[in-house]
Amino acid sequence: MAERPEDLNLPTAVITRIIKDAIPDGVNVSKEARLAISKAASVFVLYATSCSNNFAMKGKRKTIAAQDVITAMEDMEFDQFVEPLKNCLEAYRKGQQGKKDQKKKSKEQSDSSKDHPEEGGGDAGSDVEVDDNENEAEVEEEEDEDNGEQAVSVADSDVMIISDASSD
Amino acid sequence: MADKDESLQTCTLPLSRVKTIMKSSPDVSCISQEALFLAGKATELFIQSLAQVSLEKSTDKKSLQYRDLAEVVNSIDTLQFLQDIVPKKITAREFFEMLKQNEDEDEET
Repeated sequence: MAERPEDLNLPTAVITRIIKDAIPDGVNVSKEARLAISKAASVFVLYATSCSNNFAMKGKRKTIAAQDVITAMEDMEFDQFVEPLKNCLEAYRKGQQGKKDQKKKSKEQSDSSKDHPEEGGGDAGSDVEVDDNENEAEVEEEEDEDNGEQAVSVADSDVMIISDASSD
Repeated sequence: MADKDESLQTCTLPLSRVKTIMKSSPDVSCISQEALFLAGKATELFIQSLAQVSLEKSTDKKSLQYRDLAEVVNSIDTLQFLQDIVPKKITAREFFEMLKQNEDEDEET
């Protein structure tokens, strides 16, 4: 998966933004400190992954589930993250459910859904996003085909005119 | 309220990158979408708390330096896993003194 070593770092711009949001305005964060936090975050992901995976394996499951991550936080003694994470999970599930409903609706309405692309709201689920993009792509293709036909018919009429002229 | 929900169910960190890091762990086979999202969120919380705690411990409240982070990592038990990642900086002189001390101890034993 990871072809380059940089792929295992988290993007600095995002890290900087999270740090800035967390501390009061006007506090200067040195470049070295930012880099250290970024590396620490990557290691935190790995540590959390290994702990979560242990819990998944204990339960004889191959897939790491949401509960495994929450249990891992308790195990790592980051208990203060458990409550916020539970809230996030609840909101995320609600959002996903909302998206599924939205998708159903948009399938029923088929074409009319493309007039209101903003209705979906959140942008969390990558699956749903991909589907949206595919839909858009299809629509664009259809439009292109339409244009193509028109072009052909124009060309036909051009030919007609030319042939008329030559017959005179 | 809608804004709060929005921030709860979206992750600022790119989940694809988080997934790459998670998958680089050798024993991991599959990660559910929910677990991936929670891992991203947890990392976000972790970055926030690391920055906040370091600033609290810092003597200068106007800037956050590497030594503040190293100090925090060294003093808090739950951050012990970061000790090799964010080590305390020492001067070369201190290092050589440590080296000498170790050698002396070795000779004594």
